[in-house]
Amino acid sequence: MLWFSLLVLIPLAAVIAAAGEGGWDGYFQVLRNDQTWAAVTLTVGQAGIVALVNIVIGTVIAWVLVRDQFWGKRLLDVIIDVPFALPTIVAGLVLLSLYGPNSPLGVHWAFTEHAVTLALAFVTLPFVVRTVQPVLEELEADVEEAAASLGANRSTILRRIILPSLAPAIAAGAALSFARAISEYGSLVLLSGNRPFETEVVSVRVLTFIENGSTGSAAALASVMLVVALVVIVTLDIVQRRVARRG
Amino acid sequence: MSIEVQNVTKKFGDFVALDDVSVSLPTGQLTALLGPSGGGKSTLLRIIAGLDTADSGTINIEGTDATRLPAQKRGVGFVFQHYAVFKHMTVAKNVAFGLEIRKRPKAEIEHRVEQLLELVHLSQFSHRLPSQLSGGQRQRMALARALAVEPKVLLLDEPFGALDAKVRKELREWLRRLHDEVHVTTVFVTHDQEEALEVADEIVVINEGRVEQIGTPDQLYDEPANDFVMGFLGEVTQLGSIQLRPHDIELSTAPGLAGAISGEVTRCLRVGFEVRLVVRTEGGDVTVVLTRTHARSLEIAEGSRVWLTAASGATTVPAMVAV
Ligand SMILES: Nc1ncnc2c1ncn2[C@@H]1O[C@H](COP(=O)(O)OP(=O)(O)OP(=O)(O)O)[C@@H](O)[C@H]1O
Ligand SMILES: [Mg+2]
Repeated sequence: MLWFSLLVLIPLAAVIAAAGEGGWDGYFQVLRNDQTWAAVTLTVGQAGIVALVNIVIGTVIAWVLVRDQFWGKRLLDVIIDVPFALPTIVAGLVLLSLYGPNSPLGVHWAFTEHAVTLALAFVTLPFVVRTVQPVLEELEADVEEAAASLGANRSTILRRIILPSLAPAIAAGAALSFARAISEYGSLVLLSGNRPFETEVVSVRVLTFIENGSTGSAAALASVMLVVALVVIVTLDIVQRRVARRG
Repeated sequence: MSIEVQNVTKKFGDFVALDDVSVSLPTGQLTALLGPSGGGKSTLLRIIAGLDTADSGTINIEGTDATRLPAQKRGVGFVFQHYAVFKHMTVAKNVAFGLEIRKRPKAEIEHRVEQLLELVHLSQFSHRLPSQLSGGQRQRMALARALAVEPKVLLLDEPFGALDAKVRKELREWLRRLHDEVHVTTVFVTHDQEEALEVADEIVVINEGRVEQIGTPDQLYDEPANDFVMGFLGEVTQLGSIQLRPHDIELSTAPGLAGAISGEVTRCLRVGFEVRLVVRTEGGDVTVVLTRTHARSLEIAEGSRVWLTAASGATTVPAMVAV
């Protein structure tokens, strides 16, 4: 518990203290700035979209990895972790070469909002997969067989037995990927182009503040993101409990 | 007949799990599938339930050909060894599951769940989660859940296998009483011969994918079809050219009876009210069990010379030729 406090609470307290230095006035000043506000909406919106995408795609990938047998399954299982293993700046480079001006795919998404979505989706892909996969593996076959012998068809079993059992894991994975997405920096700097009002995300904005020497503004913005993260995580937890109980 | 299994064969790869099995189970009976581990009991039960499919042969349940019916449509209740509870649902919700799927009116479901929980003595636990129940309680819940949809037959795969000896014993007596109340055709798997002998109306002995014998507990115990059944239902020992139960051997301290085999007591072990002797004869060691009083009246001790004969009316089968 003490270790936890040292590791987590002190830095958090420091951020809030720093944010408070400028007083409430400075605080709102930062937020009222249009450019900052645009960055916040963009970041939170994109992180939300990416979390939703991950909930669906991540769960499907986990399902395929656990339940289906196909050639190359082991390989896919390893590849899933690549976004984790790759330094994010390298990920940014890779994405830039794929979707940038010289795109071999003919997709020119660099420096657009799509680029942000793409980069965030790439770096957060493993979260839901890796939280759902072990839970799915642990699900006992006889539970589904019991439901079947009680008359439940495949879709009912999925809806009422499997998904509620996976809900906590899916929510945890989504929370992780959301948190990672709102704080992502490395993979975005190259691909997004950091255009104010268009593709500039919060972390880039925070860095700009710091570079300009306005630590107070940086901390204020950071604390706002902290609140956003908390709200989202708590909401996800509530939703997850609902789903799990509905069964 | 309630369940009619005809010429069912099931292979896993090259391994033959069921070899041309045919069994008919009359309506309303409590039948035990008894046999050693790996004999194919679960496989047969799962094929009856539609959770596995046979390679060949037919399954008929209550007059309908169920061979190609999916598990959902067979009207079979199944209880698993490890309970297979729906962890995220309360006890009441677990029991209601089959009824909710059938879209029965809410009031009816509630009423029926209440009845069933009473039947399995879990009324006060209806709002708990399965994780807050003991193993025996979970299994009773699973039983109520299976009974809720009024199955034509109830199949239980080692329902008490994961419980400790005392609870097992209680539950099997309770299962017998429950069956006398509910009267649904029931088949349960066990590898515990005592369990089968105590509660079943009829026992099907299965070994290595084949049916060795079908009969009432008395028939199996008194007239075993072969030495496997004899050996599986209780202890056996070999006296001369026959196999019989150790307590079916008569022992005297003087020669006299024709055909008596003589030997020397090499071990004398008292277990509760009985005495177990190991007698060394020319044909090998023979185990004999007698009551303590009887042993005392004969003044038997290690080293005594004794003469052994099969008691009249003893269950015997010819011994397999010694190799
Ligand atoms: N899905 C499967 N794949 C391959 N082999 C299997 C499968 N299921 C069962 N078997 C084999 O079939 C044989 C019979 O299995 P079964 O589970 O019916 O035995 P059982 O009589 O129920 O034994 P136990 O008392 O240990 O439960 C075993 O040798 C087992 O290894
Ligand atoms: Mg078994």
